[in-house]
Amino acid sequence: MVELRNVSVTYSNGVDALHNVSLKINDGEFAFVVGKSGAGKSTLIKLLLKEISPNNGKIYVNGFDLEKLKKNKAHKLRRTIGFVFQDFKLINTMNVYDNVAFVLRSIDAPLKYIRNRVPYVIGLVGLKDKAKSYPTELSGGEQQRVALARALVNDPQLIIADEPTGNLDPTTSIEIIELLKAINQCGTTVMMVTHEHELVRQFGGRTINIENGEITFDDYIGYME
Amino acid sequence: MKISSMNYLFKQGMKNIWTNRIMSVASFCVLLVSLLLIGFMMLFIANINQFVGGIENKNEVIIFLEDVDDDHIAGMENTLKAMKNVSSVTFYSKEEALEDMKNSMENAGDLFDYVEDNPLPDAFRLRIADIGEISSTLMEINRMEGIDSIKSPTDFINILTGLKRFIGIISAVVLTALIIVSLVIISNASRASVDIRKREISIMKLVGATNTFIKVPFFVEGMFIGILAGAAASAVTALGYSELIKVLSQDMTFWSIMSINGFIPLESVIWKLAVGYIIAGTVISAMGTVMSTRKYLKV
Repeated sequence: MVELRNVSVTYSNGVDALHNVSLKINDGEFAFVVGKSGAGKSTLIKLLLKEISPNNGKIYVNGFDLEKLKKNKAHKLRRTIGFVFQDFKLINTMNVYDNVAFVLRSIDAPLKYIRNRVPYVIGLVGLKDKAKSYPTELSGGEQQRVALARALVNDPQLIIADEPTGNLDPTTSIEIIELLKAINQCGTTVMMVTHEHELVRQFGGRTINIENGEITFDDYIGYME
Repeated sequence: MKISSMNYLFKQGMKNIWTNRIMSVASFCVLLVSLLLIGFMMLFIANINQFVGGIENKNEVIIFLEDVDDDHIAGMENTLKAMKNVSSVTFYSKEEALEDMKNSMENAGDLFDYVEDNPLPDAFRLRIADIGEISSTLMEINRMEGIDSIKSPTDFINILTGLKRFIGIISAVVLTALIIVSLVIISNASRASVDIRKREISIMKLVGATNTFIKVPFFVEGMFIGILAGAAASAVTALGYSELIKVLSQDMTFWSIMSINGFIPLESVIWKLAVGYIIAGTVISAMGTVMSTRKYLKV
């Protein structure tokens, strides 16, 4: 669950990034967060990852009160969240298997569990044959699938996808969102940040619009055939 | 942390050396050159100190005695030998002195035939252990009964003490400067090798890796490069120094003129130097690499 209560963020250069934002995304929900560049979407993500702290307001993510969570304990929060980024953020010196396994290794998961879980998740995103490939040998869509596998491998409560289709062609974009929807149907909360309104209209669902640091729309929009 | 995780992180560190081989080689070279510069400077200073020490050991204080009996002379000898700053005491009888004088003045012919009584005094010839402390030693000697006069190379000692102090200061300044410059260069090399992986570090942070988990492979990597650089520096020093000594020792005449009888032998310093190289290389490289990751761990 994600909850923001009257959150405001003003950067040191005076930019008012978020202004008195309140928002709640329940467990198991799928929410699109839309808005133009500079609207405050990235600030919202940084807050949820505890990369930055708000000037005012309270934030709760997966049972963590972010105000009380110390910066050096942020890894505990991050382990409950799976991330998917526009630029995939894969480690180019590791192959697909190691990129995904890294998450489990970093939490000291048993070796046997890693050996079973990683191939399973790589299979889920349809990359069984690419486990030994390096990110630079994969297409954009495949790289994003690896990022999805990495986000999924730790069985997170929440997946945050930041413009996951930004670098992909329309067909691959749809495939990725369908994968995210499938993950959501298994009970994982998904928050997808995008500026592609067309895709949002195509899939429908809860849509939160941010403009100039404020939420201007938060409702369900219909699925367009 | 589990053993399997430690094993993974160790392997990861070793793998990183190969994956980032260009930066690894650059770090290795920088470390090697820095260690060699410091090592050879230390050898140079040690040799200079040995030369000065050699000259220092040639100091001689002569104590001329009044006409005292043998028992008194024996007592004086014991007292002198018991002094901390006196490294050797030799009794030089007036008969020996006269004989030496005759030998050194062979051209004087019959001059000594007219000498009925030996006019020369008995004496003690002393070597001083620490010439820096000679004044207090001379004061102590002066308090003894039966001394006519003392001859000590005060001017020479003053020059030598000044020279020693000068060499000490110059050595300390040059070594400190070298160490600082080396540390700056090494830390820049480590920073550069970490900089190109800042994206990697930020990804690791975002997927929930702890700082320790991220730092350990960097530590292993730095440590291994440090050990390699230390070992290579030892080998280069062993080869270079022995060759240098060989070349310089080909003609000892020049060195003898300067009262230099030999250089510090390689065997007596190489193991100490190798241990120093490896420890310094490992610590500087591992700590430098880990410290360079710090700013990227604040995500």
